[in-house]
Amino acid sequence: MVQIIISSSGTGALAQWMLVELQGEVEPRQSGSLAGNLLGDLHYTCEGIPVLIVGHHILYGKIVQLEKPFAVLVKQGGAPQPSPGELQGHYTVAALIKTKLLFKTRPKPIITHVPKKV
Amino acid sequence: SQRSRAEVDVTLQTAKLNPAELLPAVHCLSFGPQASSGQCCLLQLEPGLCAELEAGRSLVIRGEKDEQAVLCSRDKTYDMKIADTSNMLLFVPGCKTPEQLNAEPASCNIIHSQIAGFSNNYWELRRCRPKLKKLRKLLMEDPYEGPDSQKDQTLTFSKYTTEDLLSLIQASEEEILHQLQVIDACKIEGHWRILEFNYEMKLLDHVTQLIDSESWSLNKVPLRTCLEELGSLEPREMIEHILLSYGRKYVDDGEVYFEMREDKICRAIAQMLLQNAVKFNLSEFQEVWQQSVPEGMTTRLDQLKGLALVDKSSRPETIFLLKVEDLPEDNQERFNSLFSIREKWTEVDITPYIQDLCAEKQTVGALLTKYARSSMLNGVKVYNSRRPIS
Repeated sequence: MVQIIISSSGTGALAQWMLVELQGEVEPRQSGSLAGNLLGDLHYTCEGIPVLIVGHHILYGKIVQLEKPFAVLVKQGGAPQPSPGELQGHYTVAALIKTKLLFKTRPKPIITHVPKKV
Repeated sequence: SQRSRAEVDVTLQTAKLNPAELLPAVHCLSFGPQASSGQCCLLQLEPGLCAELEAGRSLVIRGEKDEQAVLCSRDKTYDMKIADTSNMLLFVPGCKTPEQLNAEPASCNIIHSQIAGFSNNYWELRRCRPKLKKLRKLLMEDPYEGPDSQKDQTLTFSKYTTEDLLSLIQASEEEILHQLQVIDACKIEGHWRILEFNYEMKLLDHVTQLIDSESWSLNKVPLRTCLEELGSLEPREMIEHILLSYGRKYVDDGEVYFEMREDKICRAIAQMLLQNAVKFNLSEFQEVWQQSVPEGMTTRLDQLKGLALVDKSSRPETIFLLKVEDLPEDNQERFNSLFSIREKWTEVDITPYIQDLCAEKQTVGALLTKYARSSMLNGVKVYNSRRPIS
């Protein structure tokens, strides 16, 4: 039988990260991996509503306290998981996620140039 | 190079957002260097698991290659399943909420946050019954027959320590330890053992005979005297073990006594009688059974729930051994097995044979609704299979 240990890093309190949930997929503008690319600017209104500007879109969202928090697991050993369904080896808990920013509204396009009526 | 505050302000202007309506700090989100590596995954935590991790405790995933994996905390077991979402989930370290931003001195107005990873699925957990049937199966490979056993004691391949059991059984440590207690397992030379039934009955017989010859009350059996009188016949650990299995330990005036468990003793003696034939004439059995139990104990059929079944439809009525622990562990297989033994069951008769299948807040009624079909037979509600049983 396979036994896979998921251990807390143990040194002090666990980090708290945030989840940002977006509709659809995020693709890099140029081909290649996403690493290093900017996603966008995240603002909050004075009322605490998250506003995300991604490319030519404005997304309005809401802050959700997760009823069931997530643990972010990082595989030890370096090799990526072969597929989402397979688990091998040893994982550590990198962080807990108790809050998410949910962007569900249709993005509002930013119009930068309004054509003049001829 | 990182975005500057000036660039952020230009974007705000283009987007026609009024900075006065926004908090001063902005998070510039970018994808970190390892974001696409797929090394991170998300595990959704059931109540209690978050606290376990925050306390520094580990979780363990256990699974045979051909089994569904389970996740175990110290004391609970969960089924694991991948849940897909049509949305993109980004995990961002160092991202602050408005409350956190407002609570801090407004010294910086730009925070560069790197997205550590992203996913469109996560592991989902659901509390489940620990898979403990294997525990009994493993311990039954080599039941302990006593020190005088003719078996080769040097063969150790079928003996299991706690660590061995943890690596073989899909259950949490506490659930395994609790089940070991329930099945009256004992540790002999570091290995968990179940007593071979006839040896167990022999030990019990020594004790009940001593109780009789000493005229002790069944509620006050002294440990010390048992060990003294029986220590020459059997190992002291075994005498104490049988008292612990069939009695409730207490201390009175510094001495250890046992209150003998009438129901458990009667039940064990019934098993001893019933295992010798396929079935018995009920009234004959009841007579022999009452005569076989210690003086002062009364036998009752309800002591045999989950051990034996009465056939009220045969003339004369009969009784036969049917042990719930011999039946399949899976819900559907259990019901198939029960319905192949008997076509129609009353709720009273079937309950002892399905009680252990109930999930955390599930009732026997709910199980019956799901796996059986009810009908009326001679004014009594009975349950039969939903599908034809071959």
